[in-house]
Amino acid sequence: MSGSTLVALAYVLLAVFLVAGFLRTVKIARLPVHLRWELAPVPKEKTRGRYGGSYLETFEWWKHPREESTLAELRYMLEEILFLKALWKHQRRLWWWSFPFHVGLYVLAGALALTLLGGLMAAVGVAGPGWGLLSSGLPVLAGAAYALGALGALGLLVSRLARPDLRVMTTRVAFFNLALLLAVFATGAVAVLTVADFPARAVGLAHALLTATPPVDVPTALTVHAVVSLAFLAYLPFGQMMHFVAKYFTYHQVRWDDRPLEPGGRIECEVQELLQQPVSWAGPHIGANGRKNWVDVATEVDQ
Amino acid sequence: MTRRTRVNDIGREPDELLSEVKIEEMIPLPPPYENIEDQPAWKEVTPAARERMVCNLDGVVALSLPSPETEEEEQEYVDRFAEGLRKLLTKEDNWTFLQPLTLALEYCVGCQTCSDACHIFKASGEKEIYRPTYRSEVWRRLVNKYLKAGGKLAARLTGSDVDLNWASVTRLYELAYRCNLCRRCAQVCPIGIDNGLIAHELRKLFSQELGWAPRELHEKGTVLQLEVGSSTGMNEVVVKDNVEFIDEDMTEETGIEVTSPWDKEGADVLLIHNAGEILSWPENPGAFAIILNAAGIDWTLASDGIGYDGVNYGLFYDDFQLARVALKHVQTAKKLKVGKIVMGECGHQHKALMTVADRILTGDLRVQRESCMPFLEEIVFSGKIEFDPSKNDFPVTLHDPCNIVRNLGIVEPQRRILRYLCPQFREMTPHGVDNYCCGGGSGFAVMSSNNFTDWRVSVAGRMKFKQILDAFADQPGPEVKKYVCAPCSNCKGQIRDMLQYYGALEKSGITYGGLVELIVNAMVDVKEPFIEWEMH
Repeated sequence: MSGSTLVALAYVLLAVFLVAGFLRTVKIARLPVHLRWELAPVPKEKTRGRYGGSYLETFEWWKHPREESTLAELRYMLEEILFLKALWKHQRRLWWWSFPFHVGLYVLAGALALTLLGGLMAAVGVAGPGWGLLSSGLPVLAGAAYALGALGALGLLVSRLARPDLRVMTTRVAFFNLALLLAVFATGAVAVLTVADFPARAVGLAHALLTATPPVDVPTALTVHAVVSLAFLAYLPFGQMMHFVAKYFTYHQVRWDDRPLEPGGRIECEVQELLQQPVSWAGPHIGANGRKNWVDVATEVDQ
Repeated sequence: MTRRTRVNDIGREPDELLSEVKIEEMIPLPPPYENIEDQPAWKEVTPAARERMVCNLDGVVALSLPSPETEEEEQEYVDRFAEGLRKLLTKEDNWTFLQPLTLALEYCVGCQTCSDACHIFKASGEKEIYRPTYRSEVWRRLVNKYLKAGGKLAARLTGSDVDLNWASVTRLYELAYRCNLCRRCAQVCPIGIDNGLIAHELRKLFSQELGWAPRELHEKGTVLQLEVGSSTGMNEVVVKDNVEFIDEDMTEETGIEVTSPWDKEGADVLLIHNAGEILSWPENPGAFAIILNAAGIDWTLASDGIGYDGVNYGLFYDDFQLARVALKHVQTAKKLKVGKIVMGECGHQHKALMTVADRILTGDLRVQRESCMPFLEEIVFSGKIEFDPSKNDFPVTLHDPCNIVRNLGIVEPQRRILRYLCPQFREMTPHGVDNYCCGGGSGFAVMSSNNFTDWRVSVAGRMKFKQILDAFADQPGPEVKKYVCAPCSNCKGQIRDMLQYYGALEKSGITYGGLVELIVNAMVDVKEPFIEWEMH
């Protein structure tokens, strides 16, 4: 593949990733406010959060200011994001594979950031005094990411094939997703192991992408890895693997959203608008006709 | 080895059972309940009944859905189901839960962590159809295949080809009622996917689009409540009579003059019981009256509208019935100009009125609502009532109603009371927000058609019964009387059925009751024991 083709392909695939990822995130964020559906524990509850208690434990709770701890919430989030605490607690067998897999992804993101930084520095003609150290760390970082990620992806793949309880509920798409990720890590590992002067080559590719100039003589192993990784990125927004974004909403806007309705507040205004929408459910007791709105239907109870 | 039931099987062989529950495959119970042959036989669903009603899931018939007479009729229901499937995913028709439902639809990675948390799946011996993800995956595949462009081709290519037909629709209907909606699965999900919500939304689809719902929850539940005032069938006159009788009975039993005030305008507290208490456990509203009077609380009961029955079965199957009942509760409080509504010992009443309906109580519909747990804690520790904890010196354990504890985060007030008043209080394992459902949640406790009670007790309730026995393992014999405190009407109904089913009072000396009964039992002014060691 020529350098210019590679750069063009990279732009297309990155654009797909960014646009589709953005649109999918916006789609979730713009869904209407829902009825309260919180679920304990809500970690921001100061002192009570550790055992799952909420402000509703307080006698006449509305007379007291809510005691919340952003720190406790952040701690919960960090433990979950960095260490996959829920999986550790509730399904440790899978954690042993899922943890290295996710750490591999995080480290890979770090290695990619470092590579892009190198590319940027080259683009602006700055070769800082620390770059030598950073570039020597890149193969270590990338190597660790590929090793951990490949180990985790392989373990997850084998678990889903070998464990009857997992296999029966695993879709072909889920197998494909894991195989694709394994390919990303495996091609990366091959590139690190076989490409001479891997940091310079990787940074060269990053420089080419940042400056829209065709890279010179990209080794085949690095080309393969770049194409597989970019294809993965372009595919990412279309499946369940976007759960790292969804998780924000499931936690913050569903499980942990225990705000009582504030008179005149944003939620009340939005709900009042939603209640004006026509109802078309056909159940005979609903009494909807496509014109009556939610308020009409909820207040007319003579079925 | 038996072949595992697969997701795509749901639409196959409409007249055959998809799976079958067998006692010998369930988790074992501790002694003296370990022998399978000693466990009660299940009520038989006769071949004639199977002809009459749809029975194609697991041999259990909770819903008594009549078999259609023609294929055209079947197809009409299938088409209506497809229409309901679409409506569930629209803002106009389902804004109430669209965001959590969409998240559950699109982001489950199938790690099955939820399955290990599900008391029904585990107790059944891990029947595939009871996995929290099973019905969710069926629903997901139907949505992907029938509502998305190119869905049919994608379903074939990805092996996710579930047929939408009479078999899948009717099995999904029954399957929506094999989940207690306890949300333990959602709690452990690393991503936050709520499979309990999917069961809830399926129930809504059936009710709101097809008009299908369990008779006990709909006709004899919300419809009856909205018509006459209570799902028990009691009207205003009958409920007042019954409470007057309870007051007299309590006065006689305790030697304390007990009077329950009715419709007192401007009272600080409007106490709303689950009206089932008044009929099935009169000592519970009686104990409330004793405590509130002794503490000098300015309180009232309400006879207006549905103000004497806090039940809201709409929570379990229908957003409109939920809203209608919740609005009536609030209107009663508004009319009486009370300071606040206090929920009696009823879990789903707590959840329905305190949180789920919260956002539709806009404008002048706002009334402060409080759980009886912190309310009772405030009274018990106020010093207004003298207690003698030695009167409760028997083993007591606490069942955590999911709707109060896991769903509302009200964990400690009831425990602080029990630690203070019950010297032999001990926890179940696990407990608090990690508790197991009693098996009666989401309306099951009042559902008893055909052989459903057998399933509800021996499968859905199995984990809880095991937990109760384990909590009392240090004194297992019937000579030591033990008390399961279950501060929720539906949980009490289920625990009563479980203890009776296994003869646990006779074999293990275990009975059950609410929290207020223990409080009254410890009151110095109540001379005779308030708790009766009998099955009631």
